[in-house]
Amino acid sequence: MSLPKLARLPSARLLTSVLPHHQLLLPPLSPLTIPCRTKIQQDYRRPGQPRVKRNPLNFNFSKGIEGIKKHFTLMKDEFFGRWVGPEGKPLIEHLLEQNLVIWEFRGPESLEQWTVSSDQEIGGQSEAHLKMGRNDITCFLHGKLSCTIPKDGETRYSGYCSMRSKIPKASFDRKKHYDWTSFNTLHLRVRGDGRPWMINIATETYFSHQKDDIYTYFLYTRGGPYWQEVKIPFSKFFLSHRGRIQDDQHPIWLDKVNTIGFTLGDKAEGPFQLEVDFVAVSKDYAHTEEFAYEMYERNPKD
Amino acid sequence: MSPYVLALLLFSLGLGTTMTFASSHWLLAWVGLEINTLAILPLMARNHHPRAVEAATKYFLIQAGGAAVLLFAGTTNAWLTGQWDIQQATHPLPVAILTLALALKLGLAPLHSWMPEVFQGLDLTTGLVLATWQKLAPLALLLQIQPANSPLLILMGLASTLIGGWGGLNQTQLRKILAYSSTAQLGWMVLVLQFAPSLTTLTVLVYIAAATATFLTLKLTKATSINMLAISWAKAPALVALTPLVLLSLAGLPPMTGFMPKWLILQELSKQNLAPAATLAALTALLSLYYYLRLTYAMTLTMFPNNIAGTPPWRLPSQQLTLPLACLAIATISLLPLTPAAVPLVAL
Repeated sequence: MSLPKLARLPSARLLTSVLPHHQLLLPPLSPLTIPCRTKIQQDYRRPGQPRVKRNPLNFNFSKGIEGIKKHFTLMKDEFFGRWVGPEGKPLIEHLLEQNLVIWEFRGPESLEQWTVSSDQEIGGQSEAHLKMGRNDITCFLHGKLSCTIPKDGETRYSGYCSMRSKIPKASFDRKKHYDWTSFNTLHLRVRGDGRPWMINIATETYFSHQKDDIYTYFLYTRGGPYWQEVKIPFSKFFLSHRGRIQDDQHPIWLDKVNTIGFTLGDKAEGPFQLEVDFVAVSKDYAHTEEFAYEMYERNPKD
Repeated sequence: MSPYVLALLLFSLGLGTTMTFASSHWLLAWVGLEINTLAILPLMARNHHPRAVEAATKYFLIQAGGAAVLLFAGTTNAWLTGQWDIQQATHPLPVAILTLALALKLGLAPLHSWMPEVFQGLDLTTGLVLATWQKLAPLALLLQIQPANSPLLILMGLASTLIGGWGGLNQTQLRKILAYSSTAQLGWMVLVLQFAPSLTTLTVLVYIAAATATFLTLKLTKATSINMLAISWAKAPALVALTPLVLLSLAGLPPMTGFMPKWLILQELSKQNLAPAATLAALTALLSLYYYLRLTYAMTLTMFPNNIAGTPPWRLPSQQLTLPLACLAIATISLLPLTPAAVPLVAL
């Protein structure tokens, strides 16, 4: 089955790909379109390249009405949810819950919460596609990893593909955060291809320097036909910035989590696939570690 | 942090507040406030976590902005009246600007938005300093410039009690709850400022005692969210039995000490023919009471079926001194019978 082309950017159009998010208002090109991160967020503009002119706004009255209804419904839910309890649930639920499924892929609409990207943004040749798995009960990320370095004279490494969840939005597109302070473990049910993946969690930051701060840990998939249940404590996640592990480490604070993502960058060219059943958080009472990495004293006095 | 640096910062904290207390010139008051701000910033950012740095940055921007506006208002007053003296702030425009600047520094509604985020990024000890010591200097200035018949103070007071109660309703993070609680309590202090300043002082003292007891309790039980509070019964059972009384004292319920300032404030407001304001303040106190009761419910009144998470607490007793907590908890609970001694304050 031919896959929708939206997730792949031909290199000829790389420099002229459009930026604005209002492109989402355009009718979809195919029945199942996976939002591509480069179309929604800022595309990588090489230094020295001329800026691309944005398309004029495409005004659509019916879409406007739908948007108004959607945002006011969200606002009404938030207002009345406040009477019920924190995050719209009664407090007793918040106190007693030990497991919470955040994402489960049970229909095509669940894929709209995720974006896919690959090194095509920087001129590479990897491909990544996201679709529903068999029987529409899992999500299936697959593609081809290519470590061929773009010939632009400045890129030295290439070869990555990732899928990342979108930041949850409240009414009127305000950012909302996940509050996972009641939990201490990430629980996934995946079926991989034996490759080592990375799980990246991004939290809310304040300074623009911290925009690319990500807490990372590894997901070693087993491959094979059997599902794999993975439980990773949040104490194991370490801080990295743009792929570089930082010297000054600290545990992840779970009260303002924005996105979670799966990245493949194992420098092995070839096809890959990852099937995800659900992504959940849970509370493991046996796990008492606060942070897995201890800081050593840099520049000791003696 | 090196003990010398810590000692210097703590000394500067004390120096800044003392300078502001002792000053009669706006410039010296501003210097004291700035010393206070700058001294607490390293304490806030001591933990190199990005949230702590964010809290320190936000705190610095707010406090520096407030202090700059304060100095501007003092200068404007000097320009219009020829007086730099703090107690000679008589022109209405500078007095209004001063009130707003001090409201920003204190965290009074509608200038309170920075409080929950800043408190959330700090550890409990620094949060305690922020909630208690850092309020003293701006309140001292506010007491000295007390404008007569100012609707601004009453409106800010009522807005603070309302927003402090409403905002804390659905929080599960304890530091944010205490930030909103601080806003609400400041509202009560400011409501009666222009009628009986001594009542404001009494409210400040009672609030400092209650807030310190609360923060020290949370520090001892290492609780930063309601879930962690729910399991603190195993760490310090006697304290968990006493803490609801401290929380209800913060809420202003008799027979705890916290009822004393609220009672006297309502009485004073009624005497000043502000019965609607008094009614509204009393009703908004119910909102705050709801989240204090929620903390009481989670901590003491229920025993959750969950097992204890975290390091077994009985193997690692807390190294924290318990004498300050004990004294403050008792003071917060049992000093209501001293109210007749406080009544003459109102007459002053």
